[in-house]
Amino acid sequence: MKITRRRLAASALASAAALAQNPPSNPAENEEELLKAALEQMRTNGETLSKFPVPMATEPAFHFKP
Amino acid sequence: MADVPSDIYFASIPELNARVRTREISVEDLVRAFSARLETLGPRYNALALPLSESAHRRAKEVDREIKRGRLRGPLQGIPYGAKDLLAYSGKPTTWGAKPYAGQVFDYTATVIQRLDGESAVIVGKLAMVELAGGGGYRYPSASLTGPGLNPWDRTRWSGGSSSGSGAAVAAGLVPFALGSETSGSILTPAAFCGVTGLRPTYGLVSRHGAMALSWTLDKIGPLARSAEDCGLVLQVIAGHDGRDPGSAGKSFYYTPQYARKMKDVRVGYAPIDFSEWADASAQPAFQGAMRVMKETGVQLVETKLPDFPYGPTISTIISTEGSAVFEPLIASGQVNQLADRKQIAGLKTGLGIPAKDYLKAMRIRRLMQEEMRNLFAQVDVLLTPSRLGPAPKIDQPLDRGRAGTPPKETGLAAMIPAGNLAGLPALSLPCGFADNLPVGIQLVGAPFSENTLIAVGKEFQARTDWHKRHPTGL
Repeated sequence: MKITRRRLAASALASAAALAQNPPSNPAENEEELLKAALEQMRTNGETLSKFPVPMATEPAFHFKP
Repeated sequence: MADVPSDIYFASIPELNARVRTREISVEDLVRAFSARLETLGPRYNALALPLSESAHRRAKEVDREIKRGRLRGPLQGIPYGAKDLLAYSGKPTTWGAKPYAGQVFDYTATVIQRLDGESAVIVGKLAMVELAGGGGYRYPSASLTGPGLNPWDRTRWSGGSSSGSGAAVAAGLVPFALGSETSGSILTPAAFCGVTGLRPTYGLVSRHGAMALSWTLDKIGPLARSAEDCGLVLQVIAGHDGRDPGSAGKSFYYTPQYARKMKDVRVGYAPIDFSEWADASAQPAFQGAMRVMKETGVQLVETKLPDFPYGPTISTIISTEGSAVFEPLIASGQVNQLADRKQIAGLKTGLGIPAKDYLKAMRIRRLMQEEMRNLFAQVDVLLTPSRLGPAPKIDQPLDRGRAGTPPKETGLAAMIPAGNLAGLPALSLPCGFADNLPVGIQLVGAPFSENTLIAVGKEFQARTDWHKRHPTGL
């Protein structure tokens, strides 16, 4: 099948049309609330990790090679 | 150009390769057909980031000349494919699915693409993805420069992410295989939701040179294709040491089905609760059917569960810390506010504030996880669990709603995605049926560098089922 410029243009329009048919469904969200929620999640994760016992000799799962 | 038979669009890699080797179809005709299909239908699923038809056609002619001269390469010779748009392709935009990088162009090509070119596979397009591979944590499927990935089985549903275009393109027969990537779920999820086979290799087996980094200690590149065997054939080409990737494991992969273990010698660990109480009610019949097929293969089924660790907080801390560090310039400049998903913007910003003690604690817990997983793989060879607990969600629904109702008390293997990724383990997602007329999948997870075992079990499963041969109607 020969690819014509008309076909390529149609593809580009189809892409734009698809976006128009499926607009980002991201209703207005309060940035401050999202930041607060992210900070809270970070804090909760940190708390969970801090409570998990790890033997003192355990090294992190990465190592440096000279 | 000759017309190509329509059965090529859902053919396997060996089937296509046989037809080009015997010159039943020219590579030029094959590539033109797939290029045109990807350009025409890719936008229907928001799967296409960038067509590469011009360079693909030129390359196809070169490969035809190769074949005519009798210079036969491996099974990927002449096979068209797509690559997730986090892989650099010299001289062309590589957008990372994100508006701030829409015009980004590199002057080099990712190692995996170079390796595929070395075997005369032909790249026909870059495929859409969730912006920045979703590292900041995104809420909606629309978290992408190209809009929400739409599922070829039902366009009101998500194709999964972050390798959304890769999953959709293979499912719709737009490419025979695609390259995706996984930090935590980004190959397995679109594979499961789109009803295709996806392989997440062992960490370090496949070079990440030329790939966008999200999490240095978690990122892996792998194939999505029509079968376990096809994934093995692609992995054989893309795997191997690369001095340009600091995380390279220095190991190669040779697909060796001739040395596959007898199924009766393979011990498969599973947790019954994964296929019942953890799974969505609509998916339970398909998962239980998959278990029956597994039993028929002759593998030894062993009940087991994951060791008890805080997988979610651990992986979340590591991805947030590393991801925000990678994108520090984006955040500092304020361009992060151009991203499509507001939750992701917030996550990236706060990630810069994670204390070092939290990151280091997560990495130490990770060391303990690796040791416990080694102990687990002394008792079993493969772990089996659903890839995702149900079918694809609707594209307008938030992805972080969490599970309805109280979760089961027994954890089973439900945390396999974070656990497997934290331990750097390989996984193979296989389509295993339908729930609410949408595909669902199971995952096989193995010890590091056990991809041949996973593929052997996957092949046996696919010899007894035809889920991997199904495709959406009307395509």
